[in-house]
Amino acid sequence: MSVIWSNSLRHLNGRRAGEGTTSLRGIRCRNMTMARQREPRTMPVGVRWVLRTAILALAFAGAAARAEDKFASRGSVQAKLSFCKDCHGTSAQGYAGFFPIPRLAGQQTEYLENQLRAFNEHRRANNIMSGIANTLSPAMISALAAKLRELNPPPVGGAPRRLMAEGKRIFDDGVPEANVAACAACHGPDAPGVREIPRLAGQLFPYVVKELTNWGKERGQNVAKPDTSFIMSPIAHSLTKPQIEAVAAYVSYLK
Amino acid sequence: MKVSALQSALLLAVLAFAFAGSTHAEDTVSDVQAKLQYCNVCHGISAQGFLGYYPIPRLAGQQVDYIKNQLQGFAEQKRTNNIMFNVGHVLSPAMIAALATSFHDLNPKPLGGAPKALLAEGKKIYEGGVPGANVAACTSCHGEDAKGNGQFPRLAGQLYAYVSLQLTNWSKERSETLSSVMTPIARGLTDAQIKAVAAYVSYLE
Repeated sequence: MSVIWSNSLRHLNGRRAGEGTTSLRGIRCRNMTMARQREPRTMPVGVRWVLRTAILALAFAGAAARAEDKFASRGSVQAKLSFCKDCHGTSAQGYAGFFPIPRLAGQQTEYLENQLRAFNEHRRANNIMSGIANTLSPAMISALAAKLRELNPPPVGGAPRRLMAEGKRIFDDGVPEANVAACAACHGPDAPGVREIPRLAGQLFPYVVKELTNWGKERGQNVAKPDTSFIMSPIAHSLTKPQIEAVAAYVSYLK
Repeated sequence: MKVSALQSALLLAVLAFAFAGSTHAEDTVSDVQAKLQYCNVCHGISAQGFLGYYPIPRLAGQQVDYIKNQLQGFAEQKRTNNIMFNVGHVLSPAMIAALATSFHDLNPKPLGGAPKALLAEGKKIYEGGVPGANVAACTSCHGEDAKGNGQFPRLAGQLYAYVSLQLTNWSKERSETLSSVMTPIARGLTDAQIKAVAAYVSYLE
């Protein structure tokens, strides 16, 4: 905003943007001094002031319309999306903060909506997300989910690649001796998910590890109101730590 | 150096063999329960079926012989399905029998969801076949109530998406030795007829 303002003023005073001092007042003072010395005034002071203000107002109005791209109006979906991206990444690709913050880009809309509702109703335990979810109207939830679904940045990556082969085996075939179902049966062969079943492709390695390790502690917290999270409980319970890491590494690289 | 490495390898092999996987010796009741819970993850909590990425069929109320044949078929790859191959090839005959009996006794409501507009046409095909296309009436093997008999599977309450997929891809998935009687029928039905009869059976209880 301040750049547009000072550029407009510089233009009015007949100086190219970038010349002179960075101080707004400095430019104006210098200009007026030089103007008094070199050019005679052709307009009364009052008229000049009105003209300058009017031109500024018009310029600013134009700038404000374009600024919608950079500064979303309060309460809009765009504003809320920017807020999500503060933590989840500029393209919602996820971010390894102090906690691993999951990728939302390309996620199934039904899954996103279910999770936001679960946070809201404390069926999924997360202090940060509970505080956020309860500010969202159903319409806002649907709108956000639709926008996030369309994003498609490359995966963040970073997981140990030596785990990929084992991870793929578990993902495609399951671990029948340990009664672990093949992930592909529900999540799909390249983990895109479908309906209420989440996309895993490109999900953060540390996030998937954390979820599978802590499944029962975080999800399905209201025993009186069981939700779709119960389906994963036996799987999360049966996978060993190395198996969790392997499958998490594998899905983290999928596109 | 070489000798001790060989000895280590031998010891490792013996230990690995001793601790290898789950034994087929004796499956306890809790083993069967654990295996059932594992099946339920995909097939539904009461084996009513589930729409995962793929449609996963209802097993509840299924004919015991049919389940046995299919599990063996998956393990021997007479029926082609990678996920079920992995499930099937670790199962002992005793475990297969126990699972089949357990599924047979379940009776949840059908999942539903098929387009109801197709029901009339589906019923016509189910009860009368498609004479012009040499498609026999389904009742002749699957029964009036679609509950099946012995090796002929129950269709009542089966997932609409699953039946449609099976009839469409019959020969791609199932070998002649496993289910040759259905091959000409699956081939004879048009896509529209497949959808109609699949919708019809999906609502039967």
